[in-house]
Amino acid sequence: MTLGYRPGTGVLHRAHPFTVLVLAGTVAVLAFTLPAPLGPMLLTAGTVAIAVAARVSRTLLTALAFAAPFWVFLVLIHVVFGDSPDRAVAVGSQISAVLVVFLMTLAAVHPGRLVDALLERGVPFHMAYLLVATLQSVPELQRRASAILDAQRCRGLRVRGSVWGRVRSVVPLAVPLVLGALGEVDDRALALEARGAAAGLRRTPLDPPHDRLAERVTRWALLGSVLGTIAWRIFA
Amino acid sequence: MIPLSSRLLALIPLAVGINLAMGKFAAALSLPLFLDTVGTVLVAALAGPWAAVATGVVSQIAFTVLDGKLMWMAFLPVQLGVALYAGLAARRGAFASPWRAAAAGLVLGLIAATLSWPIAFLLFGGVTAGGVTVVTTLLTAFGVPLKWAVYGASLSNDLLDKCVTFLLVHVVLISLPKRLSARFPAADRARGRA
Amino acid sequence: MTVALDGVRYRYPAADSDALRDVTLAFGAGDVTLVTGRLGAGCSTLLLVAAGLAPHVTGGARSGSVTTLGADPASDEGRRQVAGRIGFLLPTPWTQLSGMSYTVREEVAFGPANLGWPRDRIGRAVSGAMALVGIEHLADRDPRTLSGGELQRVMLAGITAMDPEVLLLDEPTLELDPEGARMVYRLLPALAREKTVVLATTDVDRAVEVATRVVLLDRGSVTADGAPDDVLGTDRAVALGCSTTVAEIARVAGHAAPFPLTVRAAVRRFAR
Repeated sequence: MTLGYRPGTGVLHRAHPFTVLVLAGTVAVLAFTLPAPLGPMLLTAGTVAIAVAARVSRTLLTALAFAAPFWVFLVLIHVVFGDSPDRAVAVGSQISAVLVVFLMTLAAVHPGRLVDALLERGVPFHMAYLLVATLQSVPELQRRASAILDAQRCRGLRVRGSVWGRVRSVVPLAVPLVLGALGEVDDRALALEARGAAAGLRRTPLDPPHDRLAERVTRWALLGSVLGTIAWRIFA
Repeated sequence: MIPLSSRLLALIPLAVGINLAMGKFAAALSLPLFLDTVGTVLVAALAGPWAAVATGVVSQIAFTVLDGKLMWMAFLPVQLGVALYAGLAARRGAFASPWRAAAAGLVLGLIAATLSWPIAFLLFGGVTAGGVTVVTTLLTAFGVPLKWAVYGASLSNDLLDKCVTFLLVHVVLISLPKRLSARFPAADRARGRA
Repeated sequence: MTVALDGVRYRYPAADSDALRDVTLAFGAGDVTLVTGRLGAGCSTLLLVAAGLAPHVTGGARSGSVTTLGADPASDEGRRQVAGRIGFLLPTPWTQLSGMSYTVREEVAFGPANLGWPRDRIGRAVSGAMALVGIEHLADRDPRTLSGGELQRVMLAGITAMDPEVLLLDEPTLELDPEGARMVYRLLPALAREKTVVLATTDVDRAVEVATRVVLLDRGSVTADGAPDDVLGTDRAVALGCSTTVAEIARVAGHAAPFPLTVRAAVRRFAR
């Protein structure tokens, strides 16, 4: 089960990052505006078809793993303890459709290309930087969290027992993690400053993706379909 | 768009990382907590409300992206609420003592639960993240109408979660070596000794 | 002189004493200057002040004047003027990672891209820097999978790719193995022909082989400034522990100052 960008040659990989993002957003909104339960079900089928066509079908396995617990709870709440199976199917399909399209997006959009696309459109460097730097720092901090957990367990940290005791155990875990990170802020700030990241100059995108007319048309069409659906639901 | 200082550019990704890593600790200790706003609250205490808002926004995006579930973005207003409240509370020296911190945390828990309740109920039919949904399920099993089951579950989770979060940040602030706390001028105010 | 400090005093925030006291120094192209002293003498601080990073990023208070490349690098207009022209290498490679790159090539290109250079200029600068530092074979690797030594060399390439006029290196070889450290030092004399190169390190044994000038600091003040033999070959320098191992051996063995600083010099003097 993998999350995140995986190199590939499918149509989504070659597309402009914005197109893929607009597709994801469209599906996300349509999932909640199309009449349930049929609408979301068709949407889910559609996204699965796109995933297969774009050669990112491995993400479908991941989507299944993520969606399973939701389906379980939905069945429990709405079918076993409630009496609206329609609602369960509706919400379940909504969640599934969004999951699939989202994992597809993650797998097909290279973060660097996305940053370059944003920069080409004039998005301030700081915003793009924060997003990408976070994507890299999160796994790093999670690694450190695991290491601290192991180290403290070796020193006899209590992971079972009274609730209050366990709450107190959070302290020797959280404090080293946070203090370690704070200690690095200085060094990182110095390096960023020294490499011109805070100079306020217009950064050159290294590999800007080409935006073809067909893609622009597709994006507008997707947006149009969203607005059209919303209008239809309101007035019909 | 105010360009962020290199210091904030360095701090915010780390704070977001903290937000997303704390869940590991909660899980290992089998605690019904997320602790996913520790980083945001910390930044609020160290650098003020606006830096905390930036941290919250980036956190929500990162959480959405790395969890693979676009719908989490709907909870953005909750993150904003947390960030602003924490920033204002820090300005008033909420982290001066464990009691003040715990009290401020409880209030935030109430606010957070009230903010996330309509989103969880209206958009997701009450099904969100694991632990909370278990409580919701239990409550519906006892015949509680879904609307209130969701609110009850959110409340029980958020009150404890935000209270512990504020306590943690208090402990971190008093453990900060002088060398580090001097780098973040807002920290003194948060500790009640401006 | 590209870097001039005059009567500079600097204190870190919440510190009990000054890190630099009344420092008056000047650096220029043509020399590889080694700034050294005991731990805490203020060598790193000196470089940070010269780059304007102190007090701009570190906070604290500075008095006296600092003129680097014709401007005060800590002031707002000064920073704009010197952006990208002062290269600064920090001791730990991991914290210098841009956080935005997935290959070494992208990492080296981070600085030049931030300066807004056109893409072909960036490409040339990156290739040139990687060739200079000898890391072309790592070009497509993920920076996070590299060893400390390899990563520090990537960082050095990242700095030289910006073609700075002033190159400040703060303990650059801390993470490097002896061979890696030697590789870095050997690059400095060639760079110093056109640039101002200042190296702060306690790794005096290796650094002295390329240094043409040595500045000795003690508790924030300059205690000596001149040719390596004159500064490090003295009784005082060796007694303070700031000189090379060879010099220390010579002193303990009972010879008189000035002591030889390198093995080659010692052989020349003592082998008969």
